[in-house]
Amino acid sequence: MSESSNKSSAALILFAWLLVGLPLGWGVYNTLLSSMKLFQAPAAAATLPAK
Amino acid sequence: MALLSFLDREKSLAQPGFSRWLVPPAALAIHLSIGQAYAFSVFKIPLTQLLGVGKSLPEDWKQTQIAWIFSLAIVILGLSAATFGKWLEGAGPRKAMFASAVCFALGFYISYLGVLGHQLWLLYVGYGVVGGTGLGLGYISPVSTLIKWFPDRPGLATGMAIMGFGGGAMIGSPLAIKLMAYFRTPTDIGVGKTFLVMGTLYFVFMMFGVFTVRVPREGWQPEGWTPAAKQSAMITSRNVEVNAAFATPQFWLLWVVLCTNVTAGIGIIEQASPMIQELFKGSIGPIAAGGFVGLLSLFNMGGRFFWSSVSDYMGRKPTYFIFFALAALLYFFLPQTGANHLNNVKLFVAIAAVLLSMYGGGFATIPAYLRDMFGTHHVSAIHGRLLTAWSTAGVLGPVLVNYMREYQLRHGADKASAYQGVLHVMAGLLVVGFIANLLVRPVAEKHWLAERNA
Repeated sequence: MSESSNKSSAALILFAWLLVGLPLGWGVYNTLLSSMKLFQAPAAAATLPAK
Repeated sequence: MALLSFLDREKSLAQPGFSRWLVPPAALAIHLSIGQAYAFSVFKIPLTQLLGVGKSLPEDWKQTQIAWIFSLAIVILGLSAATFGKWLEGAGPRKAMFASAVCFALGFYISYLGVLGHQLWLLYVGYGVVGGTGLGLGYISPVSTLIKWFPDRPGLATGMAIMGFGGGAMIGSPLAIKLMAYFRTPTDIGVGKTFLVMGTLYFVFMMFGVFTVRVPREGWQPEGWTPAAKQSAMITSRNVEVNAAFATPQFWLLWVVLCTNVTAGIGIIEQASPMIQELFKGSIGPIAAGGFVGLLSLFNMGGRFFWSSVSDYMGRKPTYFIFFALAALLYFFLPQTGANHLNNVKLFVAIAAVLLSMYGGGFATIPAYLRDMFGTHHVSAIHGRLLTAWSTAGVLGPVLVNYMREYQLRHGADKASAYQGVLHVMAGLLVVGFIANLLVRPVAEKHWLAERNA
């Protein structure tokens, strides 16, 4: 078989990356949502100077 | 067995025209799956309420008993990576990935039986020993293959895979929570069925990696790429056999490099939630602290990709110099951000995030450092043995942190000040790592494999 006939298609490469990228993206999104809670902490108290 | 002959190394040789960009997703499929191990803590409370369903009965398992499952899995990870690394180099990545998937899924299935019959030892054997073997095999299986496909960017390639291990917990945690909620009934907390489903899902996902991975043919090089005529003395063009590498000072110096870097990182990970709450008492509660832990895991994952990619340009040794010098300073300064001193939450969070990125970076850059020192021939096997540094740090880190803190509290320190001593010890450990990295030199010629075997 010639080299060109065996060439991995761009669609296959895209599919492969989507297959791993989508669950990872879902995980990152969930983690981002959870980490937002840090920034919802009462800011005023957090920036008060030490006594 | 003829049925499994598709797993043979020869059957996974890439045909001309195969794109190397299919190999990182194959590796990620494995690492994103086995990275679930770091989300095992989501099962901790449900496993203590199997009989009480929603509340713990006296006959239910205790959290201290459950904690051993994860610890066992991580220790076995190191041992199996060290033991099977050499086998993997001969068997090829496809067979190793398949064995990893079988062990990892089997670990879940045996644990399901343990939940069904309320037999804790089955969880130790299942998730801990059998699953842990899958973790070790899976962790090292794509490393040398990636390095061979990406001789121009080995740091980037291995960083992508090892980033997956960091990301695996981010998938495994919400997945387990959603499945347990779905399977929960008034008489069943839903853990058992969750184990069954997760074992099956991960097995199928890992099969994508098994069927996609290919090894490059002898002499293959990326199109248009030629190795630099004059390479840095710190990057060998020769190969060192795994047993010979094990006897070199370079191996043990890198062992110290990994062990100190990981121990220091665990110092923060282990205490992240209570640390931020106690350093900023009154302004940071448990919910915000949970957000802090999530943020750290993002930086841990991102650092794996970022730093290992950067190391392709800067060199491995300078990259670790940055880790150790910068991290030692930051660990030393971190307690000063607390409420007793600067009282600056944002600064504390920013420093901790940078530290965790370097913790992840240390994990992801080490395979490329090994390749620079010992060549590509046995890099997975050598990496496997080096992972015993991780197992050691997994015990050393929490022990150091917990015992030092207890000691200081017993001697009258308040909760916030007790962190100071712990973090300063971590800074000291990083100085040890800095010195070990400083002492790394190219491997002596007597350890090289003869060219025909290489």
